[in-house]
Amino acid sequence: MKRRLSILPWPRPKGGPRQTVCHFCDSLHDSSPIPEGTAARCLRCGATLYQNRPASLVRATAFSLSALVLMVVVHSFPFLTMHAGSDHTTLNPIASAAALIDQGSTLVGISVAIFTVFAPLILAGGLVYVCAPLLFGHAAPGARLVARWMHRTEPWNMIEVFLLGVLVSMMKLSKTAELEFGPGFWAFAALMICMAAAIAGIDRNELWDRLEVAKS
Amino acid sequence: MTPPRAIHRAIASCHTCGLASPVSLGKCPRCHSTLHLRKSNSIQRTLAFLIAASALYIPANILPIMVVAEFGDVLASTILEGVAIFWRKGDYPIALVIFIASILIPVLKIIALFWLCAAASGKVHPSPAALGRVYWITELVGRWSMVDVFVVAVLVALVQLGALMTITPGPAALAFAGVVVFTMFAAMSFDPRLLWDRLESLEKTKTSGNPPAP
Ligand SMILES: [Zn+2]
Ligand SMILES: [Zn+2]
Repeated sequence: MKRRLSILPWPRPKGGPRQTVCHFCDSLHDSSPIPEGTAARCLRCGATLYQNRPASLVRATAFSLSALVLMVVVHSFPFLTMHAGSDHTTLNPIASAAALIDQGSTLVGISVAIFTVFAPLILAGGLVYVCAPLLFGHAAPGARLVARWMHRTEPWNMIEVFLLGVLVSMMKLSKTAELEFGPGFWAFAALMICMAAAIAGIDRNELWDRLEVAKS
Repeated sequence: MTPPRAIHRAIASCHTCGLASPVSLGKCPRCHSTLHLRKSNSIQRTLAFLIAASALYIPANILPIMVVAEFGDVLASTILEGVAIFWRKGDYPIALVIFIASILIPVLKIIALFWLCAAASGKVHPSPAALGRVYWITELVGRWSMVDVFVVAVLVALVQLGALMTITPGPAALAFAGVVVFTMFAAMSFDPRLLWDRLESLEKTKTSGNPPAP
């Protein structure tokens, strides 16, 4: 049985033609359907109003699912190991947050955990939970609440910044100790790419139009 | 032909799902978020977050961000000293990355947002096209300032070698994380549509009295 998943077009909710407001300059436009792979732009300021991503649901689901798998790899395999003399220590995002809390910087530790572990988890998990059932035209229970939380979490996902932080730390330690990358590190780098692709995979307006149609 | 502006038709765009609906509904019919024509108290809230961020920027830079204990010697270093160490060692690219992300970006972001607030409240002339680009950039680059906090997190976790060398976080780490978080909240609270409102009212006062343009 072959489902033609990618060809599910962006549905138009009932209730006549919709309007779109430019979030930047407040111009009111009639939102007309646009071909896949194109974007609608504001006539006054040029800001993007909405984009019709090709195979959006499949992409968002696939990339966020891969992101979840990669998260398991990141947290269960060595991330970075430092050899100094006979001693060695290992690192992963949770351990670095825990070390900060251990050393008395509780708030900083919690923030690091939110930015590198919990926000990405909410985003990727939420995208899978909302998008996978939509592939079959269903809205999961509570999907709207989850989608609202996803939008709220998005700015706090800082995986790529943490990766830069790891690289800078390596430069700092390169003269002191020997560092060894584990599978967790490469999984983390791949996770960064998957998260970016998953978030960019589906337009917010399309996601909500699909949720609206799926309910009825 | 330029399109009409939604505020004149009392149409609000939902900040969660993007649906345009009459503001008189109160709640978005699709996702039940509260509808506003503009972000509420945008300028006041942005300013409050900015003042908090500016106040924290001082301890973030003069207090040590981490304390290195090596063979019994204890050395506390600030962000700027960390940059200087890389610079002296000849690691110019990495020194520049930290300097730009930790020192330059937060200052520029705070100045940019103060400027945007001034323009939106009519203290300086709003030019939305240019200021819009400023706003877009501040939203884009702000998060990268967190890099130094992550460096501290990584070093504290890795460098726990007993008597040989240990690294502990300094008080500036919290102050610095606060600067980044508060500037992010400030950027989220700012409503760029206020710039266009201001521009529109300026144009209206300029053209009133003159015959309407053809
Ligand atoms: Zn616009
Ligand atoms: Zn809504």
